[in-house]
Amino acid sequence: MVFLKLAITNLRRHGTRSLLTALGIATSVAVLFSILSFNKGFSKGLARELQRTGIHFMVVPSGCPHEVASLVLHGSVIPKFLNTSVMEKIVSMKDVDFATPILVTQLPNAEKARVDLVYGMEMSRLSAVKPYWEVDGKIPSAVNELMAGSEIASHNNIRKGDLLTYSGVSFKVSGILKKTGSQDDAFIYMPVEALQAILKKPSGATAIGVKVKTPETLAKTTDELAEIVPGIQVVTMNQVMSSISNLAASGKVLSLSIAIITILVSAVGVMNSMLMAVFERTQEIGMMRAIGASRADIFRIILKEAAILTLFGGLSGIAFAVAGSDIIEKFVRKAMPYIPSGSMVDFDPVLAAASLVFVSAVGIISGLYPSWKAAKISPIEAIKG
Amino acid sequence: MIELKGIEKTYLRGSEEVHALKGIDMKISKGEFISIVGPSGSGKTSLLHVLGCLDRPSKGSLLIDGVAVEKMREDELVRIRRKKIGFVFQQFYLMPGLTVFDNIALPLVFSRTAIDKEKIIGAIELLGLKGRIEHYPKQLSGGEMQRVAIARALVNGPEIILADEPTGNLDSENSENIFELLKSLHKNSLTVIMVTHNNDLAARADRTLLLKDGRFPG
Repeated sequence: MVFLKLAITNLRRHGTRSLLTALGIATSVAVLFSILSFNKGFSKGLARELQRTGIHFMVVPSGCPHEVASLVLHGSVIPKFLNTSVMEKIVSMKDVDFATPILVTQLPNAEKARVDLVYGMEMSRLSAVKPYWEVDGKIPSAVNELMAGSEIASHNNIRKGDLLTYSGVSFKVSGILKKTGSQDDAFIYMPVEALQAILKKPSGATAIGVKVKTPETLAKTTDELAEIVPGIQVVTMNQVMSSISNLAASGKVLSLSIAIITILVSAVGVMNSMLMAVFERTQEIGMMRAIGASRADIFRIILKEAAILTLFGGLSGIAFAVAGSDIIEKFVRKAMPYIPSGSMVDFDPVLAAASLVFVSAVGIISGLYPSWKAAKISPIEAIKG
Repeated sequence: MIELKGIEKTYLRGSEEVHALKGIDMKISKGEFISIVGPSGSGKTSLLHVLGCLDRPSKGSLLIDGVAVEKMREDELVRIRRKKIGFVFQQFYLMPGLTVFDNIALPLVFSRTAIDKEKIIGAIELLGLKGRIEHYPKQLSGGEMQRVAIARALVNGPEIILADEPTGNLDSENSENIFELLKSLHKNSLTVIMVTHNNDLAARADRTLLLKDGRFPG
């Protein structure tokens, strides 16, 4: 207990230095914890999104699967179209529950002098394709109605009942999609046939979403489909999610590396701070040796100081990260091309504990050298001053 | 009880070899009060460090209670320091972050001895530090700090008190008080060895030894 008291009071004697060192650790732990939390939240969010989606696979023109992933989740515009006649073939398969066309494009909004991302879909299938959506107002039920995502609506001041005109066709805003936290918030949604008419592609679709009757038949169905219809590519939602995971993986590795480097830099800070403390307290350490402290006692006192410093810094870092999670989330949502809906930076006690254990271990390791230096101090040299 | 036979101490100051002690022979009986005087650089402190098992002699033998300590391992020396020796320094060397009570109890912590609170408080009161138990060193006067340091030196129940210029940083009144305190310890059969520059105080010890150029002349 006295050792602990001694360690704490020693740290307090150089309050500013200790605080700055702890701040360095706090920052690095906050970065590490946020990244770990985000990575976990991202994986959980992806899994959740996968579970929620009402379709099992997408049929798209042959191409890059990443492009498909991007289409499904990000809404990119692929300049290739499927003919919806493919749909008839799909629907005729016995294990298929339903197939629904999806058409994604950019349409100029002449009045507002901007280009909107427009998503055409069968509104009757909306509850199956996007079961978790909530709409303020009503889902478009006529070809001259549309719905706006929450973000595009708030940015452009679009309200229920407004009229929007695309390529000379006027649409009434029947509802606003409530915030999903995903890219869905940035789209305009209109009946697919209306969009097909605007694009003059009466049977065009960027993709066709398919739901099978039982998930067990998924593999069989996709195999068969690839044989029946040439020039298409079948991408299951699992593949889409794993494509996204792969895309995100390199980002995760990079961000984790940065966090670890930050921690190593702050560990050097701990070492420096402790070495200075040892140097300044040479006489005191000599006195302690004279009054009965063994080398091991001195080693323990200094190491305890390093451990307290890192633990304090670590705890503060977790607190910073939790307090700033909203800001971090906002920033990451802006920076990342795809983020699943829902909160990404949730407090997870296991991750918090893991971050603390990691930083404490690093802190203790960086305290070893100063502690060893202190333990080596000769009492006579120290007392002579 | 303490016997020094041909003690020499040589150390390097840069590349220069310094002979701090050049063959010291002496015997100190249990319960003696010895003062060691001598000019600066005469080897007083070096001798005290050897006596206190803080430093090993380069040559010669040091026997404490008949046991040669000069070749002992570091951990054995630590045990001797804990059990038999109490140090008092000119600069007091109290831990600024600890209270008077904790400063006094520190050697008990190092020797893994249970802290007898009543006993420490009793000693504090006996040394005239009542009401200072929870004070920090910076709140004490020089005389009070040295009394705390003496209480700390006594807490493990040592047989020998080694005092290195214990009154060097004190005014004459406090010097007198500290000296009287050391005297009273000696009356309680403790061996007190005091290095000092103060010839008046030195003369009041049982025996005064003059150290010159690392040896006792004559």
